[in-house]
Amino acid sequence: MSGAPAGRWAAVREPLHAEWTKLRTVASTGWLLLASVALIVGASAMAAAIVKCPGTCTADTTRLSLTGVLLGQATLATLAVLVMTGEYSTGMIRVTLAAMPRRPALLAAKAAVVTAVVLAAGTVAVLGSLLAGRLLLPGSGFSPAHGFSPLSLAHGPTLRAAAGSVLYLVLVALLSLGAASALRDSALAITVALGLLYIFPVLGNVILSGRWRHDLGQWAPANAGLDIQATRHLGALPIGPWAGLGVLAAWAGAALLAGGLLLRLRDA
Amino acid sequence: MTTTTTPYRPGQHAGRDGFPQVLRAEWTKLRTVRGWVIAAFAAAAATALAPVALSATATNPAESCAGGRCQAEAHNIATGPGGAAVTDTFYFVHQALTGNGSITARVSGPRGLGAPAGQPATEPWAKAGLIVKASTTPGSAYAAIMNTGGHGVAMQYDYAHSTAGAGGAAARWLRLARSGDTVTGYYSADGRHWAKAGTATLAGLPATVQAGLFVASPDFEFDTQSFGGGDQGIDIGTRAAATFGGVSLRGGWAGHAWHGDRVGTGTGAPAPARCGQHGCVINPGQLEPPGSVRQAGGTFAVTGSGDIAPYVPVVDPVEAMFYGTLFGVIAVIALGAVFITAEYRRGLIRTTLAASPRRARVLAAKAIVIGLVTFAAGLAGAAVAFTVTQRRLSSLGWRPPVWHGWSLTSATGVQVVVGTAALLAVTALLALAAGTILRRSAGAVTAVMGVVIVPLILAVVLPTGPADLLMRLTPAAAFGLQQTTVRYPQVITGCTPYHGCYPLAPWPGFAVMCAWAVAALVTAAVLLRRRDA
Repeated sequence: MSGAPAGRWAAVREPLHAEWTKLRTVASTGWLLLASVALIVGASAMAAAIVKCPGTCTADTTRLSLTGVLLGQATLATLAVLVMTGEYSTGMIRVTLAAMPRRPALLAAKAAVVTAVVLAAGTVAVLGSLLAGRLLLPGSGFSPAHGFSPLSLAHGPTLRAAAGSVLYLVLVALLSLGAASALRDSALAITVALGLLYIFPVLGNVILSGRWRHDLGQWAPANAGLDIQATRHLGALPIGPWAGLGVLAAWAGAALLAGGLLLRLRDA
Repeated sequence: MTTTTTPYRPGQHAGRDGFPQVLRAEWTKLRTVRGWVIAAFAAAAATALAPVALSATATNPAESCAGGRCQAEAHNIATGPGGAAVTDTFYFVHQALTGNGSITARVSGPRGLGAPAGQPATEPWAKAGLIVKASTTPGSAYAAIMNTGGHGVAMQYDYAHSTAGAGGAAARWLRLARSGDTVTGYYSADGRHWAKAGTATLAGLPATVQAGLFVASPDFEFDTQSFGGGDQGIDIGTRAAATFGGVSLRGGWAGHAWHGDRVGTGTGAPAPARCGQHGCVINPGQLEPPGSVRQAGGTFAVTGSGDIAPYVPVVDPVEAMFYGTLFGVIAVIALGAVFITAEYRRGLIRTTLAASPRRARVLAAKAIVIGLVTFAAGLAGAAVAFTVTQRRLSSLGWRPPVWHGWSLTSATGVQVVVGTAALLAVTALLALAAGTILRRSAGAVTAVMGVVIVPLILAVVLPTGPADLLMRLTPAAAFGLQQTTVRYPQVITGCTPYHGCYPLAPWPGFAVMCAWAVAALVTAAVLLRRRDA
């Protein structure tokens, strides 16, 4: 980067460039992105193919076609965790911090490249899932004869669910990156991130108290965040679609803040 | 003076590289890494505390049922001879009979009445037959032989016991004979050649019993899971009719007049009742009419609804609390994975394998150490969780007859507590195998969570058919070990994962998880031997 012009943009561009180089040259990035897209599209297509109407005609077809997001979030979270903890497990973090002493800027650069790749992979996966749903759902009985029109992004709630699912994946990745930054160990960070994403939805179904079930639906990151996929029975949701995504954004913001603070305060 | 120099011989004995030494080496590694010790204690603490925390948020049965079945049906839950809750409501054409004797009739039916489209014409467990009952009080002891809607001839007694016989629902002869405390059921195609259906021993059956003809038809219950974690169920009361011909009393039983009336108050309403997460809202004022009898000579046309069966509650509060042990599960997943991946990360694996070149043995030693440690952590955690949550649930009103106050040493207590510990141990083995195969902690943790925990969510999100398959084929089937609700083949319940009901019985479900662990460990052993470390 000797030829790069020094200036006010260099402070932004250089860490981004460094992080982008690290991310794209690690073999696991490509595999994890590929696996995420395959999981999301594959699981969504399977869900669209196996649900039958009559039988489950009350299904929210948009949400149904985006089922794979539930699985793909795990591999994208892994990717985001590794962006941070990979450096700690190899000792690379000391080189990185020597070259880039402004630690919050480092975390910001990592967040930016993670956002970019998850945005790209998420968009591909979500569009692929909706396309699979559009093609497969009529064969499962969700046809105009039963009052279902084909999935289309021209339908406002479907567009919101699709765009929201991509944002959901980005926020999950940022939450994982923040957790990784705070915890520094791959196994620990991935366990905490996936625990947050997967245990609360299970508990949300079984808690005996209706009030607590409702509260969990409002405040747990995956429970609230995935409400963005709903296009029917919105009144029955514990929290509205965008408000739910806002809850997840607050979690991601808090994780990044904690991660950034700890990154700044601790020795690497 | 010559001195003999003795070469240095370390005071070690032969067999130093035996399996016990490998085992000891692995145990030393585990107990000397602070993070791993913390993880083991965290697993025990999470297994104990998360269910306790969930029980602290729990509500009483009525609130939990949210106006649902447990509350609405409370009016017809009776307490059976064993102290357990039973459903005991049916149409009974009876008379008091004293001493020993038998009753015989040719039974045609049961035939369902007025079942709408989309519902079986006759409920599979609709019943029409002969019954000997201690009294007409719901919950009293009985023995009965009956034709059923879809399960042939069945001999049932005291609610829990049922032996379904052979044959279709064609008109056939049934006979019930009492001799002291023993009641024997027979059936025949022609009224001449009789086959024994079963024998019931009803201890303390009074000398004078109520005996006669009965018809019952349980509610039609239909559960589907809709996408996005909804549960849609309906509950519709049903009615059935049967014709009893050639009714005769023999032995010491002398005939008096027959009385027809309903035992109990009915179960379902003719109109579909809305069912939510925990059950169906049934207005007691809208229950099925009691049923009827029309006598013409020796022939009785009887209609009735209801059921004579154990009462199976929808909610399993112990299981609901024990979902909290998932926090312990994720802790052992992390521990099991890093127990091997940390060796790869630090390069220690090369030392380990140089010291013990027989690689499968290293993996076996690791499996034993991590399996035992996580089992112990799970056992301690689950025992505390079980004891505390039982006390709390009981104080909230989750009590007999519908719910049981299981003790730690009861069969159910052992199943839940030892089962949870075994589940944690086998999950750790799965993670160890995944860590050996993938050599990276992040990948191993993600993969194991993907097969152990994610199916629990998908099973709720997916519709019933695929959800059922998922709970049969993935390691998540083992969570059935935490179920305490006893289910009976003769009671159709809404068994969906949404209700915490697993398609496999507890230990067979655990066997599925074990099969996964064995397959993963074998793969891991093969790869460990084939690849360079």
